[in-house]
Amino acid sequence: MKLLSLLKCGLLQGAIAALTFLPMQASMAEPTADPQKVLRYAFIAAEDGFDPAVSRDLYSAHVVQSIFETLYTYDYLARPVKLIPQTAEAMPEVSSDGKTYTIRLKKGIYFQTDPAFNGKPRELTMADYVYSFKRLLDPRLVSAHTWLWDGEVEGLDELVAEGKKTGHYDIDKPVAGFELLDRYTLRIHLKRADFNLGMKLAHEPNSALAREVVEKYQDAQGQVMANPVGTGPYRLAQWLRGARIVLEANPGYRGMTWDFQASDDPEDQKIIAQMKGKRMPQIGRIEISVMLEDQPRLLAFQKDQLDLFQLEGPLAPRVLKDGKLKPEFVSMGAQLSRIVDPEISYFYWNMQDPVVGGLSKEKIALRRAIAMAHDIDDELRMVYNGEAVALDYPIPPGVVGYDAHYKSSIQHDTAAANMLLDKFGYKIAADGWRTLPDGSPLVIKSTAYNNSRGAMQLESWKKTFDSIHIRMEDNRGQYEDMLKAEKACQLQMRDSPWIADFPDGDNFMQLFYGPNTGSNNAGCSKIPEYDRLYEQTLTMPAGPERDLLYHKMTRILEVYTPLRMGYARVRNMLAQSRVIGYKKHPILHCEWMYFDIDKKK
Amino acid sequence: MTAYILRRLWQMLPTMLGVIVLVFFLFNWVGGDPSYILAGKMSNIDQINNIRHQLGIDQPYYVQLSIFVKQIVTFDFGSSWSTGETVAHILETRIGPSLIVLIPMTILETLIAIALALGIAFVRGSLTDRAVMIACTVGMSISILVYIIVFQYWFAYKLSLFPVQGWGEGVWENLSQYALLPILIGLAVSVAPTLRLFRTFVLDEVNQDYVRTARAKGVSERRVVWVHVLRNAAIPIITYVMSNLPSLLIGVFLLERFFGIPGIGREVILAVDRSDFPVIKAITVYVAAATMVFNLLTDLMYKAVDPRVQLK
Repeated sequence: MKLLSLLKCGLLQGAIAALTFLPMQASMAEPTADPQKVLRYAFIAAEDGFDPAVSRDLYSAHVVQSIFETLYTYDYLARPVKLIPQTAEAMPEVSSDGKTYTIRLKKGIYFQTDPAFNGKPRELTMADYVYSFKRLLDPRLVSAHTWLWDGEVEGLDELVAEGKKTGHYDIDKPVAGFELLDRYTLRIHLKRADFNLGMKLAHEPNSALAREVVEKYQDAQGQVMANPVGTGPYRLAQWLRGARIVLEANPGYRGMTWDFQASDDPEDQKIIAQMKGKRMPQIGRIEISVMLEDQPRLLAFQKDQLDLFQLEGPLAPRVLKDGKLKPEFVSMGAQLSRIVDPEISYFYWNMQDPVVGGLSKEKIALRRAIAMAHDIDDELRMVYNGEAVALDYPIPPGVVGYDAHYKSSIQHDTAAANMLLDKFGYKIAADGWRTLPDGSPLVIKSTAYNNSRGAMQLESWKKTFDSIHIRMEDNRGQYEDMLKAEKACQLQMRDSPWIADFPDGDNFMQLFYGPNTGSNNAGCSKIPEYDRLYEQTLTMPAGPERDLLYHKMTRILEVYTPLRMGYARVRNMLAQSRVIGYKKHPILHCEWMYFDIDKKK
Repeated sequence: MTAYILRRLWQMLPTMLGVIVLVFFLFNWVGGDPSYILAGKMSNIDQINNIRHQLGIDQPYYVQLSIFVKQIVTFDFGSSWSTGETVAHILETRIGPSLIVLIPMTILETLIAIALALGIAFVRGSLTDRAVMIACTVGMSISILVYIIVFQYWFAYKLSLFPVQGWGEGVWENLSQYALLPILIGLAVSVAPTLRLFRTFVLDEVNQDYVRTARAKGVSERRVVWVHVLRNAAIPIITYVMSNLPSLLIGVFLLERFFGIPGIGREVILAVDRSDFPVIKAITVYVAAATMVFNLLTDLMYKAVDPRVQLK
């Protein structure tokens, strides 16, 4: 009898244990990745480390995006880009005023196994996201991503201020703006409307980390650069810093079925035919080599030692002709995926500078004349081998709010530029150089990076200034010194690049907003009409109404000419024939979990 | 001898102090402010000030200098400002790959240059001597960059004799596979100038009276060269070799960049690019200390090679 009781007890316990783990097993689908499918990839610069809150560089972001997961991500094929749920169950419920977001998490998502979890499976909860969001603002971490939550959430700024004052950031203190309704539901209360919060939640610094991992592995500064433990499709298998990173498919990853819809791109049909219905990820192992120089990258690809890499500017003429692969690469079966990066480079004049700045007619005329005298196509040929496209609009292609039909009123016309300068009193003196209207010398200092590209840019601008008889001085320096001077509004003129943090026009239009002077407004421009319209757009979701305001704002920029729109670079990705279903995404850093390798090739 | 060594070690202290002060003020004056890079794209003045505070660079100079001295004394330079990796770990893990390339290269360069120098010094003025000197001059006129690009293209890509680039896990794997081409390039670049220099050292000895006397006594030419001449030419050779040893700590950053070798040279360039002061300061101090130690070892080796040398 006693034996029977024991047996019944044991069976009951076993049943309970099975039921407890059943949801986990159900969500942890059969591993789909094939360890024989190996992708060999190259980084063109060394990585920093893999703490989502701290990593700043693009290459670390590749790895972070593979190991960790955000609430939202982007549809692999959709163009323009489309936000979709990743760990969230659905798109957020947003209040009509744009200030309250309710998000539900999928159940049964687990972190990869790690000693930090003491051998137990660790489910992802909304508390992990709240912890990760708050951690971004810990002053100790010196995160470059605090802007994601600065001034956004009710109660969070006060928590940060208290932390700075007392020297202790109390991450456990509840914040009114992050309301956990239950284990899987979060309601975010914002201080002001932000219709882009979904995109910000898709940005990899907002990935979920487990507190146990942070507490176990953090260094003296609270950073966890060397022990990335996430819920994503891959995990870190090997890391030789600055040389080699190996990722392996995470056996506990829940997987997904490839089911993306085609965009207008005719190539999409081929990708769909290759990939539809497959359980992802397919690639079992990713071997990343850090190759800092162009030649070894290209040679390694040609020797079939690399499967996929970015074809940087100087390499492009060796591989491409008129944007297409040369015959020798076509014959080896290489594939090209080519996009215009969601970025702008614009040439600004410091609006607080006594020579080039200000809103008076004479200063506007000076800036407009310089803008009209510059041959942007010539610069792109010289500096980028033609691997960049000239822009008329401050929002680049592929970003919400972009207008492909917009035409700038400022076009290249050296004769008109000279006439404009003559009309507004910038006379040509005996030495052949123009003076200011008051007769004093006119010299403009143009700043660029102290490298070969910067030298070529300055050469291009020298030609521009020479064509309108304005003396130009070149100013090259260390990057950090340039940044410091720029934020203090001390640079007279520079080419300022900006790549999308999230693919919305606001990320670009804020560059010219007056109150952002000292931060992202590199040209220190303060145009009241522009600022007024920008503030209106903050209360609007993306759509025709907001686009209309963006148009007006762009015309205002042309009227006052605090800048001249420049260009966006083309990104070329070269792949071996064995890589199937690959298409470069403008926002996702890596697409490894969305394409496949043909083992037979 | 012990007194001499102790005296020399004691003399290193004021030199090291001078290096510390010079390095500190040089980097604070010339080096950029890293907080602007660490703050990222969307930065404002509050953020930048916070970073400066966290890094300790908002402290008065005398406080920063005292922290620097303490770091040197305790061998704890903290962590990289960019990656969070401890400086000690950076040095430990990066010096190995550099040494795997540089030690064989230095040994082979020295042996080849000595052998060739001894060989051609005795045929001075002949066609062989002239041909070798012309080859050396041509070789020295070509930039290392050209060697790297050409060798990588022909030997790795076209002839597939070596991997194009890369680095493995184990010492033997790296030595037998990935380091071979970088070592070959290093030799191609460095043998020429070294050979010319060593030839000069040997020529200074070849016409000395003791060589004539040895020959007159019937000593074989091989013994004259390898025992008598080499021994006397060894002093300047030792000086040259030992003075180059501290550079092993800096690596060969061009080779490391092109061949994907995670060495100290590449790390130094990365640190300079990022204004990563903890790393730069640590390497500078270690190289200065190594230079002084190797200078002492050089003097001790003089004594071993030439007993007539008096160490005072």
